[in-house]
Amino acid sequence: MKALVLDGSVERDDTLNVIREAFVNKLESIGWNVHVVILRDTKISDCLGELGCFARTPGICIIDDDGRDIAMKMVQSNLMVLLTPVTFGGYSSELKKALDRLVSNVSPFFRKIDGEVHHKPRYERYPRLIAVGVLRDPDEESERIFKTLVDRNAINFYSPAHAAGVILRTQGSREMREKIEALLIQAGLGK
Amino acid sequence: MTAKRRALLLVGSPKGPESTSESLGDYLLDQLSKGGLETQKIRIFPSINSDDGREKLLSAINTSDILILSHPLYIDSLPTPVIKTMELVAKHRKSTAELREQKLLAISNNGFPEAYQNETALAISRRFAFESKIKWAGGLALGGGESIDGRPLRELGVMARNVKKSLDLTAAALLEGKPVPKEAVDLMAKPFLPVWLYTWVAGSRWKRRAKEHGVQKRLHDRPYQR
Repeated sequence: MKALVLDGSVERDDTLNVIREAFVNKLESIGWNVHVVILRDTKISDCLGELGCFARTPGICIIDDDGRDIAMKMVQSNLMVLLTPVTFGGYSSELKKALDRLVSNVSPFFRKIDGEVHHKPRYERYPRLIAVGVLRDPDEESERIFKTLVDRNAINFYSPAHAAGVILRTQGSREMREKIEALLIQAGLGK
Repeated sequence: MTAKRRALLLVGSPKGPESTSESLGDYLLDQLSKGGLETQKIRIFPSINSDDGREKLLSAINTSDILILSHPLYIDSLPTPVIKTMELVAKHRKSTAELREQKLLAISNNGFPEAYQNETALAISRRFAFESKIKWAGGLALGGGESIDGRPLRELGVMARNVKKSLDLTAAALLEGKPVPKEAVDLMAKPFLPVWLYTWVAGSRWKRRAKEHGVQKRLHDRPYQR
């Protein structure tokens, strides 16, 4: 089983480092092959919105950089983990630069899901999705927006199961590990 | 003599002049200009990706009274260059003692027929305004943005009547210092076409574009399939 971990920290971030390592250790301890990408160390250009990945080179972004590699690894993984400082309720620009490029992994055509229109899947299967956002202080609105965003992404990414959680920078490493265990269970992994 | 109030349009689409985001923003900016505001437009992409561009972007934002952010929906949220800009502005404002009183209006458009799929993106913009101590003037959501396809609204006639009326009402409210009225929100959210027709037209468009590139038989390719 393969996991892709995308670390969206915008600068050195001790809290996200602890969370990332806890995910890696936990998954490797149960036999997973984990690939970690520190996004701020990658070269990923902004999605240009031309959607050449739909009608010029179907399924492949027209920009040849690390964004393509992440799109490939996403499809070939069983689990995708997103780590980010909660940024106005959403993802950091570092995480978002990789996610914007994943549009190549869906079809240009539409279908209805629960009464609303979404792109059809391009592939037969997609990874489960877990997203963890880090907040400095408790903030109900940011947490609500973050979880809604992950719910929406899970629909568009055809995640077979997903979980989203927020961890405070003041929480200890034991609480963080417990939260991670809970998220894995919620995503249908672990006990 | 008091200085004219300034409105700044921030175009959040990497497609710039060919984008629906710019079409919507241009129309609103025209209405505000006619109402006596000084207006300016900046394309976030590629400005945010160079030192000089960032400096000009921040300077324009700092000297404006009304900020209009018009952007497409990317993966249920805002495009990366817009988030980068928000991070830059929020950081700057946190380290600035005397903040100019400003308002933010956000216009989010998407390629799905349902306008409400923009809600999470608008919530993020609202949260950005709150954290940056900018007054939230409101958000407008447009579905089926492909129908406009970057064309000037004035050229679209009756098809864009609800969009234009929404922006007229929005301009009038901003000129009076009021938030975006509900009527403007509702008009902007009205669909251009029935869902079945919109999805059929969109599908036909992709087939035509693929044919132009000689890949009409490869539209369903799975290059990364294991």
